[in-house]
Amino acid sequence: MARAIRSNTRLDLIVLTTCIVLALAARALPNTMRDPVATGIRRTFLAPLVMLQERSERGRQSLLLADSKQARIDSLSLNSMKAGSLESENDRLRKIIGLGSRLRWGFIPTEALHGRGVRDETTVILSAGSRAGVSRLSPVIAPEGLVGVVDQVDPTMSHAMLWTHPDFRVSAMSPDGTAFGIAQAHLTGSATGGYLIELRGVPFRATLKPGAVIVSSGWGGVWPRGIPIGTVLEEMKTSESWARTYLLRPAVNPADVYSVMILRRDRLAKGFDGVWQSVAQVEQATQRINVSGDSAARAAALAEAAARRAVLDSVARSNGGVPLGVTDSANAARAVAPKPAPVRRPAPVDTAARARRDSAARDPNRRDSVRTDTIPHRPGAAR
Amino acid sequence: MNMGGAIRAIISFLIFVVLHYTLRPLLGWRAPMDFLILALLLAAVRVRPATAAVIGFVLGLMSDSLAPDALGAGAIAMTVVGFSASYLKAVFFADNLVLNAFFFFLGKWVFDILYFIGEQRVHGFELLQQLLLWSPLSAAVTAAVGVLLLFIMRPLLEPTPT
Repeated sequence: MARAIRSNTRLDLIVLTTCIVLALAARALPNTMRDPVATGIRRTFLAPLVMLQERSERGRQSLLLADSKQARIDSLSLNSMKAGSLESENDRLRKIIGLGSRLRWGFIPTEALHGRGVRDETTVILSAGSRAGVSRLSPVIAPEGLVGVVDQVDPTMSHAMLWTHPDFRVSAMSPDGTAFGIAQAHLTGSATGGYLIELRGVPFRATLKPGAVIVSSGWGGVWPRGIPIGTVLEEMKTSESWARTYLLRPAVNPADVYSVMILRRDRLAKGFDGVWQSVAQVEQATQRINVSGDSAARAAALAEAAARRAVLDSVARSNGGVPLGVTDSANAARAVAPKPAPVRRPAPVDTAARARRDSAARDPNRRDSVRTDTIPHRPGAAR
Repeated sequence: MNMGGAIRAIISFLIFVVLHYTLRPLLGWRAPMDFLILALLLAAVRVRPATAAVIGFVLGLMSDSLAPDALGAGAIAMTVVGFSASYLKAVFFADNLVLNAFFFFLGKWVFDILYFIGEQRVHGFELLQQLLLWSPLSAAVTAAVGVLLLFIMRPLLEPTPT
């Protein structure tokens, strides 16, 4: 028994010594031999475990980078959300600069600070006061047109009444001077009246079509002549039988008023010729271009339809058949009746007309297009 | 140890080895736990010293293969730790969690001492810092994890009544 124990102990020591010697030998191996041994072990016995370790480390890297990735995504989302408002603000500032260059002098650029109450939808605080040259009843304008009027002035700021205010009135007219009236907020029970304007007291003989622009008339001495107020939406039914009342879509939405201009009193007397006219001219020119484009497209479509009809008829005739749209009774009548003189068909559509049609169809600025049901075609003809 | 116990011990051993190459890199702690030491110690108390030395040698060589510059250092350390654990199992072989924790702590610390001295990569103050600060911390973490795993895997590790 004792001998067996001693034998086992000796065996243990031999094995231990062997393992240590082998380990020391591995430790003493030169690099040129150490690397192949290590590589061999990694690529055989340890390969699955190395693969697991790689995946774990990759998972850890993903976990570590998750926060920064999320932060980056959040930043991008925030920037993309800001981009829209920055674009609109940029556009608005460009318009303000354009208006300033047209006014040339006599205006005070300022910021409109909106309040948070219900009543504040009808008034704003302006960041310029009497030190900047603002005086009471100075008109407040935006690139689109009329905004309101200054009613209180402090040294460093002022208080303005927007056109949505129930007490706000402005003398208005059509640009050609055929219709005059008083513009005021359209109050329908809500605080803002849905941001619409009423044009009251228009003489009964004067009619305004929807879309007509209404500008300030200059009467009363507060507002200069020619500042856009809005466009006519429709005539309102009222109990006044001696005058008409029109509903206008305002040129300026009070909710979008942030950068405005205050006109100085000395500027009012000099007139505003061409300040808003150029904008109107551009709009009219764009409208004319659209209309002419529509006409060209319509003409091209008509020519194509006629050519297609001619081709179909000639094909039907060459096949000995009946031209499309001609019935049997008509054939019988034709057989009895004398043969009419040959009629010249319209020439096939030229490539220029087709090109015009294609370009008109692709034009992204077109506001409308020719509907296919407006193209005349023969009943039963294949299209 | 009967056949069932041997199989369960092998399964436990493999679980620890797999954890070493999955959970440890996933956690990436500065003072990491050493599942290979835990596997070696758990195996060592169940086999003869010679077998424990061989297991330690193989495990050490495996871990060294991932760091070829230290090839052999881990093998020496694990051989010694495995043999010693198996030789001293009569002392530590008790169903006491605190004693087992101390057993794991000591095994890991001795391994680190042997490994870093044999590796000869760090010297001077850095070696002292490693052996007296990071190694004990790592050994403590290893002991804590080892006790936790012993508790979790108790049905698998308990000897089968004969």
